[in-house]
Amino acid sequence: MARSKLKSALDQYRGRNIRLEKQRKKEKEARKRKEQRQAANQDGGNEGAQVEEQKKQEEEGEEVAVKANGQTKNKAQAKTNGAAKDAEAVGEPDWETDDSEEELDSEEERTKANLAKLEDSDSEGSSEDDADDDGEEQEGAAEEEEEDIPLSDIESLASADKEDVVPHQRLTINNTTALTAALNRISLPYSKLAFSEHQSITSDEPTEIADVDDDLNRELAFYKQSLAAVKDARAKLKQEGVPFSRPADYFAEMVKSDEHMGKIKQKLIDDAAAKKAAAEARRQRDLKKFGKQVQVAKLQERAKEKRETLEKINILKRKRQGADPTNATEDDDLFDVELDNAAKSDRRRDSSGKQPNFKRQKKDAKYGFGGKKRHAKSNDAFSTSDTRGPKRVKTKAKAQRPGKSRRAKKV
Amino acid sequence: MAAVYKTLSGDSNKHEKGTEGRKNRQRVLILSSRGVTYRHRHLLQDLYNLMPHSRKEAKLDTKTKLYQLNELAELYNCNNVLFFEARKGKDLYAWMSKPPNGPTVKMYIQNIHTMEELNFIGNCLKGSRPILSFDAAFEKQAHLRVIKELFTQMFGVPKTSRKVKPFVDHVMGFTIADGKVWVRVYQISESEPGKKKPAANGEAEETAPAPKKKKGGEYDVELVEIGPRFVMTPIVIQESSFGGPIIYENKQFVSPNQIRADLRKAKAGRYNQRTEAQLENKLKRGELGLNTHGGRKKEKDPLSDSVLFA
Repeated sequence: MARSKLKSALDQYRGRNIRLEKQRKKEKEARKRKEQRQAANQDGGNEGAQVEEQKKQEEEGEEVAVKANGQTKNKAQAKTNGAAKDAEAVGEPDWETDDSEEELDSEEERTKANLAKLEDSDSEGSSEDDADDDGEEQEGAAEEEEEDIPLSDIESLASADKEDVVPHQRLTINNTTALTAALNRISLPYSKLAFSEHQSITSDEPTEIADVDDDLNRELAFYKQSLAAVKDARAKLKQEGVPFSRPADYFAEMVKSDEHMGKIKQKLIDDAAAKKAAAEARRQRDLKKFGKQVQVAKLQERAKEKRETLEKINILKRKRQGADPTNATEDDDLFDVELDNAAKSDRRRDSSGKQPNFKRQKKDAKYGFGGKKRHAKSNDAFSTSDTRGPKRVKTKAKAQRPGKSRRAKKV
Repeated sequence: MAAVYKTLSGDSNKHEKGTEGRKNRQRVLILSSRGVTYRHRHLLQDLYNLMPHSRKEAKLDTKTKLYQLNELAELYNCNNVLFFEARKGKDLYAWMSKPPNGPTVKMYIQNIHTMEELNFIGNCLKGSRPILSFDAAFEKQAHLRVIKELFTQMFGVPKTSRKVKPFVDHVMGFTIADGKVWVRVYQISESEPGKKKPAANGEAEETAPAPKKKKGGEYDVELVEIGPRFVMTPIVIQESSFGGPIIYENKQFVSPNQIRADLRKAKAGRYNQRTEAQLENKLKRGELGLNTHGGRKKEKDPLSDSVLFA
């Protein structure tokens, strides 16, 4: 405890000094800045009003802060003393952490002092400069913070904060007079030269590109600029009688060789083919996806057809029984006849429709199916009176081999 | 062929010469330092192809004694030097100078796309003279005026160049956007207004939005990109050729090394933050008694086997 007291006393002693010095420095800077600003701001009355307004805001803020409890006193302190206190915090980090009680004490002392100052400014209005300077100080500090953050500090910041910070910029060298002199030294005498000598065209209006990363619009802007230049130049060159467009029969070496152009062509063809193949593949995939549905639909349709025919047959059956009084008109009759026929044929097909296959038929004929089998091959009256000879089996004549001479001729 | 054309239409050229006394004579020395990548080399080759008044030279051995370039230029009768300096096998810087005493501009080149890899369908005569199209922003500032003049003399092909071909069939566009100079090369394709060819290429963005205005009721002018594409950031302008006082410095230019270092540091920062947070979290949990032993090592049990039977 004793140690801490000693240290705090020392710190206090030293801190005071440092603080005073810093404050003085800041005041100086602020005064300078103020002068500059006044010089820049020609409207004196307006400026004065602004300063007063600033001051008012300042005081109000201080009052509010002071009214708050002990904890916020710290904040008020931070506000009023601005950059000086910041510097302290940076310079002596353990000062805050080690003996915070002491710091609180000293803070209280300081706030008292500040209060006294405030009272002064309120009552007399003579210490305007002080308050003003304070305000200036704050502004200056804020400005400095905005501008002067070296690159090395940025890395420690979170990536989200980084975007807002303007990094340290190099010293600008832009010696306009030297640049102009250099330009004059090298520039061509454009006024004396014909356009066809240099063929350079500067657009009338700068090419506006809203977003450099937007490829399409950027390229479009480039294209438009060049196109305008081409039209302009074309007119000028025609005026000067310079050949512009290449006649169709003028062949010469090109920048891109035929081989290269062939490659490009092949690339285009390949691209087109790939596109086509992709479309085809997609179609196939879709078909596969819907194929099942198509099959189901077909089966349903078939079942429906069958049901309908059955219904038709049923109707006909009922009509056969003569119990249908609804069929009175001719049309219906006619229609019914047709239906009748259809139904008849249908029935026949139904009854004997299912022919056994060919093999079965043959086997039936050979070995017999139904009916008497005995004496089937024996002669009867009819066969005896049959005068036709035995049936001759016509064998397919084999193509005769041609003679030697003919064979030779063929080959 | 060019010679034939010249002889055929010689009288008109002579007439031209008679009226204009002044000539625009330019010769450009193109070379690179050692350590260029294939892409840098292709860009150089593309530019060389587009500039018939240029002379390509072997790679320069040194990166520090650039004043040697002045002698080299004198040797080859060149009054322009376009020197590509590659660093670390990835960054490309272009020095544009007018020896013996013109200014020197140093630029950082990025977003390089060569003709080879771009697959644009545009094409032009090797050795035809380009139209140079500049953004109006070039006239706004002194250093940009200097740069524009350099571009005009370097990329503009003089009429009297040896390998020049007589027609104008491409345009070079220089645009300033975002503090950088964007370079594009287009072919000028003229078609009769009735026969408009459909754009059968991937470059629909280039051809589709072309406003079709009839030029004198004759032709539609359309542009088809040829390539290459690149973006240049001016860094420094020196008063004399590869030397002398610096008369302009771009304060917004951040070196690619710096950017890479920042990225690396940002990554490291992320790791540090994470580990710190983890440690903090552990301590906090320990203080709250959420960990089994308060985040501290378990105290030795005086009755444990290891103590008793040590």
